[in-house]
Amino acid sequence: HRPFYNSIQTCSSGLLKYALKIFSNLSSLQCEQIIQHLNHKIPGVNTVELCQRLQTSGIEVNVGDLAKITNTVSFLFSTAARNNLSTEELITALGSTVNTLPKHAIQVIRHVWNEQGKSVGVSEDKGNMSTVGQFVDIKWKLGVAMSSDTCRSLKYPYVTVALKVADSSGQITNKCFEMTVPQFKNFFRQFKEMAAVLETV
Amino acid sequence: MAAAEQQPPAVDGGKVDITEELLRGQLYPEAAPEEFRALRAKMGGLLQSIASADMDLNQLEAFLTAQTKKQGGITSDQAAVIAKFWKNHRVKIHESLVNQSCWDNVLKNMNWRVDLKSQSRHVDQINTPVAIVEMELGKYGQESEFLCLEFDEAKVSQMLKKLTEIEESMTALTQTT
Repeated sequence: HRPFYNSIQTCSSGLLKYALKIFSNLSSLQCEQIIQHLNHKIPGVNTVELCQRLQTSGIEVNVGDLAKITNTVSFLFSTAARNNLSTEELITALGSTVNTLPKHAIQVIRHVWNEQGKSVGVSEDKGNMSTVGQFVDIKWKLGVAMSSDTCRSLKYPYVTVALKVADSSGQITNKCFEMTVPQFKNFFRQFKEMAAVLETV
Repeated sequence: MAAAEQQPPAVDGGKVDITEELLRGQLYPEAAPEEFRALRAKMGGLLQSIASADMDLNQLEAFLTAQTKKQGGITSDQAAVIAKFWKNHRVKIHESLVNQSCWDNVLKNMNWRVDLKSQSRHVDQINTPVAIVEMELGKYGQESEFLCLEFDEAKVSQMLKKLTEIEESMTALTQTT
């Protein structure tokens, strides 16, 4: 279990402590969400929504911190899964950090790992991530659809993008699709959110 | 006879599986089939014209007023109902027409998460964050392809730069039209 302990050491213990403290305040539903994410059952923890829910229940946390936390906890559990740790081994691996945590935090971790730990998928390749490609580049063109056979007054702008993608074997393909203005705005917003989370992790 | 409060949108997408007989039974059970058919055709035709031109309120008023003055046109009650219907459903109907004219792939859905990528064989010194993005691509009404891509911070910046270019072009476009 050496690699796992080493992994835990490199997580800043302050962050881990903070993470576990907040984590212990999450409802069991939210813990489940994180485990399901690890299991590739849901594509991602909706950090913004989770943040809002925590704030309405009186827990002060911002999106950046919460992203760090969910990543830390995900990392913790997935590493534990890879090493096939039992609940007690997991608690032991947290080392001295455990003593500084509120008692119910340990109980939560124990409970979650007991209930869900065995179902955590070990391989990162499982689930709906059969082939992960690399983004290479994006080409785009903006057009306006003026009219059609079913509608003489369409008049809507749309952008056609071609995503240049490299698959795992290095082969490059172009994936093309269209977006209307609202669809594009949503696309843009998601990438801005992504950048914000990446920055804070 | 006064037109029904809720005329089903005959122009909407063509996906509505409602027969004329069903409509007559629901709306005007006492009317003769011929009578109802004529009414439905007339209302449908008007809505089609309105939807095709994507009329604004001024155009709509002018159009409907002209229809009330025509021989064999509509009553002012019917005009009022059509106007109300169009005001309530214009955006949805137009959107449906827009989608109908899109025959290429669209982005049906997009999900993402940020992982801390760790090298599992070595002692972790660097945990580099990476975004995993899942995009559902496909044509309307057809099966989707799921595209899964990895983005590091640099790649996201690259994407944002290009998306900003697109946004600037879009703004320039909507300002001139």
